Amino acid sequence: MADKLDVKQGTLALMILKTLEGLGPLHGYGIARRIEETSRNRLSLNYGTLYPALLKLEQEGFIKAEWRQSENNRRAKFYALTATGRKQLARETREWHETADLIAAFLAPKREAQ
Amino acid sequence: MRFIRAALARIAGVFSKNTADDDLREEMQAHLDMEIAENVRRGMSPGEARRQALLASGGLTAAADAVRDQRGLPWLDSTAADLRYAVRALRHSPAFTTVVVVTLALGIGANTAIFSVVRAVLLKPLPHREGDRLVYLRQSMDGPGGADIDFSVPEIRDFRNGAPALGSIAEYSPWFGTLTGKEDAIRVDVGLVTGNFFEVMGLSPILGRVTRPSDDGPGVPAVMVLTHEFWMKRFGGDSSIVGKQVRLDGNSLTVIGVLQPAPWFPDRMDALANMVISPHHLSALMVEGRTHRMTAMIARLAPGATVSQAKSEVASVYDRMQRDHKDAYDAGSHYRVAVISFKEALGERARLTLWILMAAAAFVMIISAANVANLTLMRGVRREHEMVVRAALGAGVGRLRRLLLAENLLLTLTGAIAGLGVAVAGVRLLTSLAERYSARANEIRLDAQVLAFTFVIAVVLALLLSFLASLPREGSFAERIAAGVRRLTGDTRKQRLQRGLVVAQVAVSVVLLAGAGLLTRTMVQLSQVNTGLKSEEVLTVQVPLLQMSGVASGGSDPREVFKAVLQSDAAAKVRYDQMRREITGLPGVTEVGVGSSTPLKASMASFEVKAEGKSVKVGEATPRADFRTAAPEYFSAAGIPLIKGRAFAATDGVSAGKVVIINRTLADKFFPGEDPIGKRIAWTGEVLKFSPISPEWRTIVGVVGNTQDGGQDAPPRPAMFMPFAQELAMSGVIVIRTDADAASLAPTVTKIIHRVAPAAPIENVMTVKQIKAQSLAPRRLNAALVSSFGILAVLIAAVGIAGVLAFSVSARTNEIGIRMSLGADSGRVQRMILGEGGVLLVLGLVVGVVGAFFATRFIRGLLFGVAPNDPTTFVGVAVMMAAIGIVACWIPALRAARIDPAITMRST
Repeated sequence: MADKLDVKQGTLALMILKTLEGLGPLHGYGIARRIEETSRNRLSLNYGTLYPALLKLEQEGFIKAEWRQSENNRRAKFYALTATGRKQLARETREWHETADLIAAFLAPKREAQ
Repeated sequence: MRFIRAALARIAGVFSKNTADDDLREEMQAHLDMEIAENVRRGMSPGEARRQALLASGGLTAAADAVRDQRGLPWLDSTAADLRYAVRALRHSPAFTTVVVVTLALGIGANTAIFSVVRAVLLKPLPHREGDRLVYLRQSMDGPGGADIDFSVPEIRDFRNGAPALGSIAEYSPWFGTLTGKEDAIRVDVGLVTGNFFEVMGLSPILGRVTRPSDDGPGVPAVMVLTHEFWMKRFGGDSSIVGKQVRLDGNSLTVIGVLQPAPWFPDRMDALANMVISPHHLSALMVEGRTHRMTAMIARLAPGATVSQAKSEVASVYDRMQRDHKDAYDAGSHYRVAVISFKEALGERARLTLWILMAAAAFVMIISAANVANLTLMRGVRREHEMVVRAALGAGVGRLRRLLLAENLLLTLTGAIAGLGVAVAGVRLLTSLAERYSARANEIRLDAQVLAFTFVIAVVLALLLSFLASLPREGSFAERIAAGVRRLTGDTRKQRLQRGLVVAQVAVSVVLLAGAGLLTRTMVQLSQVNTGLKSEEVLTVQVPLLQMSGVASGGSDPREVFKAVLQSDAAAKVRYDQMRREITGLPGVTEVGVGSSTPLKASMASFEVKAEGKSVKVGEATPRADFRTAAPEYFSAAGIPLIKGRAFAATDGVSAGKVVIINRTLADKFFPGEDPIGKRIAWTGEVLKFSPISPEWRTIVGVVGNTQDGGQDAPPRPAMFMPFAQELAMSGVIVIRTDADAASLAPTVTKIIHRVAPAAPIENVMTVKQIKAQSLAPRRLNAALVSSFGILAVLIAAVGIAGVLAFSVSARTNEIGIRMSLGADSGRVQRMILGEGGVLLVLGLVVGVVGAFFATRFIRGLLFGVAPNDPTTFVGVAVMMAAIGIVACWIPALRAARIDPAITMRST
């Protein structure tokens, strides 16, 4: 367990949005499972991290929630991406790539060493 | 946008908490169930599946908390919780809460009320444009009535030419006249002003216009500007008054505007007019007469000039004036000029009284705060293990501090709100006090700034109280728990603090009581001063009939004017006589007299006097006396005792020889050890030129007793009475002695006067008793206020002592029980507790008496007939404080003595 990473601040929202984009409406358990699987179990999401993040996205209007029957006939709260959420996902993805490029450029071995 | 939406969602979250909580619980339960099901599917036993799922969740309660934080406004939630808790905690100790809130309400209320007065009268900027640039010039000299003698036109001219720092100078002459309206006539105070007056004063009209330089000089239309107060009072704020004509005495004036509200100094003004209505003000006599001092001077400092610059320029100009005109400034009278900031001048009479009241109120605040602090400390000690338990359950120090703060804020703010109620009542009372001392009393308001002051007091107090209590440090609670439930006395530091607070309370109470005692003794002394009158059941009515300024419209030919004045005078005297006869016929009336002035009130005019064959010593002030006239019956009607000679008689008529009656002070001045009867005396001085008073010798026919005309606290003023018939009836006062209740005659008398002289204003209908009470009223109120503060302080201090001792007793119940079972009898225990309180009491008394010794010096100016460190007062105060303190100690001491050792020991 100790080798598992904590979710970096700010990245969780992006992961949630991306998950919902790929899989459609999903409940909290499904989102957590999916993120853990995608991270090849390097990430673990406890409720205290997941649910505030979901609530925050909902407050910001990027996702909307709805009670529905789950696949095995259990009542669960399903989250779905909204139109603004989709736009936000695109923007954040772009920004994330830019940041990643930038960081990568910084961390790359210097080719112009003097 | 996004932020706003999120914020709105969060705010909504505060209110939809309950449903959201259920929702969240169900959502997380579903999550958990799904995870358990998944674990079981993977082959775990149901128990293990559940355990693993819970482990992965990271704690449902913590998660719910985190979501809740995200949902609403967490600090609001916890503040609300703190407040809810505070309300609950305070409701559990109603006695504590009541004592604290009442104490604070009184302390905060008194401070708020007095601060609102201090602010309005002393601190607030003047309504005048750049009011802090205005300075008031005051010329004064020794002797009665010499405190503020105004300036003459030549004097002002000298200052204008010689003191450039004064910039521009506004002049006005106080004047009065009878304003006749539709049905009634009233006497109004009018300032005669130069055209630049309003410009210099920085005052603007709210309606119409003010005077300008083109309104100066002779031959211009007479115009009048109403003060805001008078406009409201007389014309009910009717804006159509502008442009209308009003009649002042015989003159017709056009109202050209209404002035913004502004305080007047040194005289209250109803209206301001240009000089044209008084040809005298434009005459050569006025303009050239250096001793004809009738004009008040307010200057606006030149740009860049300072008050001290103005002072030194004025001083050097004044020096030169005195050298060049020796006859106008006799050396013995010590003529002097002071330059005072106008704002200061407006507040100067109120300053000492107000600051003393403010200090007294602050003392009460200190005592109540100390009491509340003590109560809080004790309660804090009692709650120590509550705090320890809370800390043990995971409340951090910050959280506990916030809890305390919430509680204390609740207490002090409740106290402050209750205090505002006290303040509203107090302000009304204080305004009536301030009106006697300052023209700015009508600016007194409980406005936003005053409320802010109150609020700040409450918050600061709450902060202080919250940080007084020591809280269990994190990690230290284990040792606290180990220390046990019985540790109730708090640590020694805290005990010392409590005791220190009690000593401070006693000391401050003693200081307040000493002040109250001195002011009360002053009151007693003053009311015991003999007025000099034989009876107080005398009704006085002022009815001015003679028209002086009005006749001026007849032209500026002096002979014409004089003839008109004499006609008006003769007519007035006929009417006075008719009034006198009709009032004499009323049942209960024993004597009716007419004169120029009201007994126990200073005469409007005083002049230099000389006695035949008596020269004034070099360096001695020129003798002056109040100018008064009296009809034959005046003295016996007013109850002024005749000491020597005779009263006036009907034979002392216009054509008879000029005679006078002098009072004892004047007799002693000129004729010590001699019989003044038959000696001759005369008015003298340059200034007589400007008056209808003749400087001829007059024979003294009688000497009357002194009366307290300058107030109960002033030395008697020299006075000279002339027969009413031999002088102009410049103002008329009817004095009516009755054999019963004088006040009840007022309506009948007023009706008679109104019938005889329908157009005359009737003023100051007062009995001698009322005049005396009125002259003492501000001091009485002042003494009563400080006394009530003193008594309040003592009561609060007594509660403080009793509380601390009672607490000490309850904390030492065990110890006392042991002592008693070891043979100490109840008397001994009682003495022990009494001794404990006695030490505090004695310490407080010593500190208080020493403090009072220094503090009472500041009220020297308010005392009469009693020294600032009057031993009787000090001893009385100490005894009173000691007595109350001992009673306060006795109650807990008795309780200690009644402790049953058996019960105490068993309950340990």
